[in-house]
Amino acid sequence: MSEEKGWAKHSNIVGIVAFATLVVALGLVETFQPFGFRFRDFTGGMVTFDTLIRIGILTIVVVGLNLLMGYAGQISLGQAAFYGVGAYVSAIMSTLASRHEVLPGISDAWWWPWLAILVAMLVTGAFAYAIGRPILRLRGNYLAMATLGLGVVMYTIFREGGGITGGHDGLAGIPRLSIGESFAFWPVERYYWLVWAAAFAVIIIGLNVINSRVGRGLRAIHTSELAANTMGVDTDKYRVQVLVLSAMMASLAGSLYAHFQAIVSPGPFGFVASVELVCMSAVGGMASVWGAALGVSFFFVIKEVLRARMHQLLRGAGGEHELIAYGIILVLVMIFVPEGLSFGGIKALSWLRNLAVFRRGDGREIEARTGQAG
Amino acid sequence: MQRYLGTKSAKMALTVAAAILLVAIIALLGYRNNYGPKAFAQWTMDGIRGGSIYALVGLGFVIIHSVTGVINFAQGEFVMLGAMLCASIFELDLPLPPAVKLVVAIVASVIIVTLVGILLERGAIYPARGAGVVTLIIITIGATIAIRATALIIWGTRAKIVPAFTNLHQNDLIFRPFGLTLGAQSLWIWGTVALVLCALLYFFERTIMGKALRACAVNRRAAELMGINPSRMSLLSFAMAAALGAIGGVVFGPVIRPQYDMGLVFGLKGFVAAIMAGMVSPLGAVLGGLITGVAENVGAGVTGLYGYKDLIAFVILILVLLLRPQGLIGGEERGVEQS
Amino acid sequence: MKKIALAALTIFALLAVTISACGTPAPPPTPTSPPAAAPTPVAEATPIPEPVIGTTYKIGFAPAVTGGGSFLGVPERNVAEIIQASLDEAGGVTGPDGVIHEVELIVGDTESNPDVAASLARRYIDEDEVVALVMGSLTPISLAISAVAMEAEVPYVSMASAGVIVKNPDTGEVYHWVFKSPQGNLEVAQWQVERLTAMGAEKVCYMYENTGYGKDCFNNSSAQLTAAGFENVFEGSFERTDSEFPQVPGIEAAGCDVVIIGAIPPGAANAHVAIRTALPELPIMHGHGVCVADFITVGGEPMEGAEMPCSAVIIAEDVPADDPQKEVFMGFKSAYEEYTGEPVSTFGGHGWDALYWVVEALETLPEGLSLAEQRSAIRDYIETNIVDWPGTAGIFTLSPEDHAGLDYTSFTWFIVEDQKFVPFPQEDW
Repeated sequence: MSEEKGWAKHSNIVGIVAFATLVVALGLVETFQPFGFRFRDFTGGMVTFDTLIRIGILTIVVVGLNLLMGYAGQISLGQAAFYGVGAYVSAIMSTLASRHEVLPGISDAWWWPWLAILVAMLVTGAFAYAIGRPILRLRGNYLAMATLGLGVVMYTIFREGGGITGGHDGLAGIPRLSIGESFAFWPVERYYWLVWAAAFAVIIIGLNVINSRVGRGLRAIHTSELAANTMGVDTDKYRVQVLVLSAMMASLAGSLYAHFQAIVSPGPFGFVASVELVCMSAVGGMASVWGAALGVSFFFVIKEVLRARMHQLLRGAGGEHELIAYGIILVLVMIFVPEGLSFGGIKALSWLRNLAVFRRGDGREIEARTGQAG
Repeated sequence: MQRYLGTKSAKMALTVAAAILLVAIIALLGYRNNYGPKAFAQWTMDGIRGGSIYALVGLGFVIIHSVTGVINFAQGEFVMLGAMLCASIFELDLPLPPAVKLVVAIVASVIIVTLVGILLERGAIYPARGAGVVTLIIITIGATIAIRATALIIWGTRAKIVPAFTNLHQNDLIFRPFGLTLGAQSLWIWGTVALVLCALLYFFERTIMGKALRACAVNRRAAELMGINPSRMSLLSFAMAAALGAIGGVVFGPVIRPQYDMGLVFGLKGFVAAIMAGMVSPLGAVLGGLITGVAENVGAGVTGLYGYKDLIAFVILILVLLLRPQGLIGGEERGVEQS
Repeated sequence: MKKIALAALTIFALLAVTISACGTPAPPPTPTSPPAAAPTPVAEATPIPEPVIGTTYKIGFAPAVTGGGSFLGVPERNVAEIIQASLDEAGGVTGPDGVIHEVELIVGDTESNPDVAASLARRYIDEDEVVALVMGSLTPISLAISAVAMEAEVPYVSMASAGVIVKNPDTGEVYHWVFKSPQGNLEVAQWQVERLTAMGAEKVCYMYENTGYGKDCFNNSSAQLTAAGFENVFEGSFERTDSEFPQVPGIEAAGCDVVIIGAIPPGAANAHVAIRTALPELPIMHGHGVCVADFITVGGEPMEGAEMPCSAVIIAEDVPADDPQKEVFMGFKSAYEEYTGEPVSTFGGHGWDALYWVVEALETLPEGLSLAEQRSAIRDYIETNIVDWPGTAGIFTLSPEDHAGLDYTSFTWFIVEDQKFVPFPQEDW
């Protein structure tokens, strides 16, 4: 296990504090609109509150994915399946009254959707546990393939579910979250706080896991499973635990998504979605918890920038051209910053520090360490 | 109990029992729905045809992965490009008889797609060659997105037409042996797969270049020490996979009416075939592809669960992974450690 | 080494950009005759001496240009470009008080993804302050957008066909702010009932593509036909990219008298060819998603005899001169084919109809209304004033109970003969 010096060791904390400050600042600006400033004035209308909420929701999923892929080293090409289960369970339970007339009076009470969120997390966790035991015996490509298969299976179930899942068109009319009869987490500005509060809670949980016994066990497994086994680390148990945790996080995100979009359809939970999640995780830095937020933000911001500015670069450019640029940018980022933007950022900072030190004529050798942050 | 199930003979017994059960279920369903042997024969035949394209895509995956360790998500796009280019070139107004024009179109499209594969390798894979598996996968994903969007711009959303090889016409010549429907293009497809497989086996067994590729696949470092240039081998593997994909696209084109977004599905199913081969064996890839095709077709046909066709392929895959992770053929037992 | 990578990527990027620049259509030639359905944008005699320019009206327009819906989305985007050009040429719309307003179509891409669509809709509403939305080529996308539009109280015209977009299927409630311009699958099914009755068929096999559209086709067709007494003996779904059709032996074994396919090309063509090849005598009918020339050219000779209900816009030249839709058809068809060089697309027509509803509504707005008032006025106009309105999809009559405005008489029944769409009138059945 490498010993990080200086920046790298505290990168997670620093990153999170910085990000939290940004999030809170943006939220406050929009809520109170000092001097008539609105959030849009900062970004020229390129990034909207809607986007920030989606970033928050997906950050929750990707934190779980980072724990799974970055720390435990298990590739998951089917994470969208857990995300989808959470969304669908929430959707189905919240629309029981409106669609099927089941439990009227209870199932349209204000606290029912909150209960649904918990139920969804439990269901997803149980599901992850059930399939985790057999599948996690596989390694590397085979595990990737098995998770991919799982993703396809769940997507097919969502799509063919007919009366229960609403088939292709999905379930509509999902109510908004509220506390009591009067305080609703809506409009968008209020939901923002809820989502990001959840996101930071999940990030903190993630950090706790990393610094705990389980986390150290996971990192041991990632470095060398054989060695870990020899030292008495119960690799199977830890693997499954991490899978269940990441599944529950994804489920929470799915529920928040359902109440945000007010309609769930199978489209956002397929193979393409799982692949995008992995991309976000890698771009942000797989072995970093706050890298999740960075990776997700990067994707959304790039897409928005392309959408807003592409036609200035190229006359007559449409969605197709944006996609080409998006694909090329993805390739370039992975070539030049393969360890992810969070570590790339640290490397850049350390490199700058080095520059400063050498200029000073200091003979001390500075090592810029990257790798798994503490 | 866990350990008992893990023994080889227990696995064997389980597999055989499962196979017998499967056949029984299929026969029962067929009987219930009045599907005679003719229906099964038709499904199997169509499945072998559909499976052939999975086989060719799977071969591409296997070649690239065994040499470089990269899972090339862009493999399906090579198929799409091959088919679309062939169709476009054939549509051009060249002063040639149609048969010659078709040959020119085929050759030209295979060459162009091979160049695209080389460009992909040099431009995107080579610069990141030290990076981890996930990084490389994502790079191929980015390339796939860019290629597909470019295809949308060049060709739009409309489907193209690749003429059937036999009669150089949009609609294939149909044979009806024993009341079944057999398109002449199917014979071309099977012939191509067989030819490609033989050519590859010859290449890997008998030629120096092929043996060098295999050496790289077995142990990259040792191959390097023996004087084999791994980066050149990587380039060769991508070029071969691209050419294979293009050939697959060209020969399958008359059957499927290619469109700019057809690559995704073929890439996915071909990947399944490759996994069934343990990602290392060409013969296993072909077998895996054919089995996937047949199982999909027969399974969907006999159960009537057409919407679940994809599910069948993946369920089979998961079963294979759990029972025989090293693939149906080849690949050493992947044990505990995966570097 | 990274330099080589950079160089290679730059070359690839340049190649892609160059190719795409070649692929981009030339700047649109201005359409020669404005379509009759659209009132002339500039009034004949302006009572005010010098023209007063008012606020610019913005319309949010986002079809599914990439992704699974691109077959519908690209023609819709073409239509937006044509209409924008004709609006620019005319300088905009003139209100009843003589004030001229420019109209800007903000064109986006929903990527066939309901998340992107909802995001885009919110952006158009909050950031761009559009007066109306015309979006959504597919049903799940339209449903997601309609949730946003209903909440923000912005008029929204969808370009997707399912009836559930404008009306809640369980409660029958019509969504106040949501309209749609294409014909629905219910009307298609009604034609199919008539045709099958005339044919004397009894047993029906269904094939449909495994998308929202295909499923909706199947639901409507089977509901109407079963209610009319026909027997459903087989149903099978298929993917757009399928090459093998295991449903064919099933159709054979079921012994039906006719097959009904609900899909768009090329999937519809692939399925049709597969069935026709195995069963040369079996009649095959389609829905209205195949009313494009592409359907026949992709399928070839086996497409002969396929029957489907379509809007007569595809044979605009042959429509009699006294038909109220003749002018709209000719205007749309010639504008589209001139601009794109491709045969007319009925999907583009849905965008055409939707946009002209909004443009016509804009012409009744006086200067000085607030954004909320503008949106409300447009909604009210569309709901009450689109009556006997000839469009590319039919003659629309909207009302508070009906936000789709078409019934099954908007279709003409066609048959494919000599590789062309030929009207097949009821007398000849």
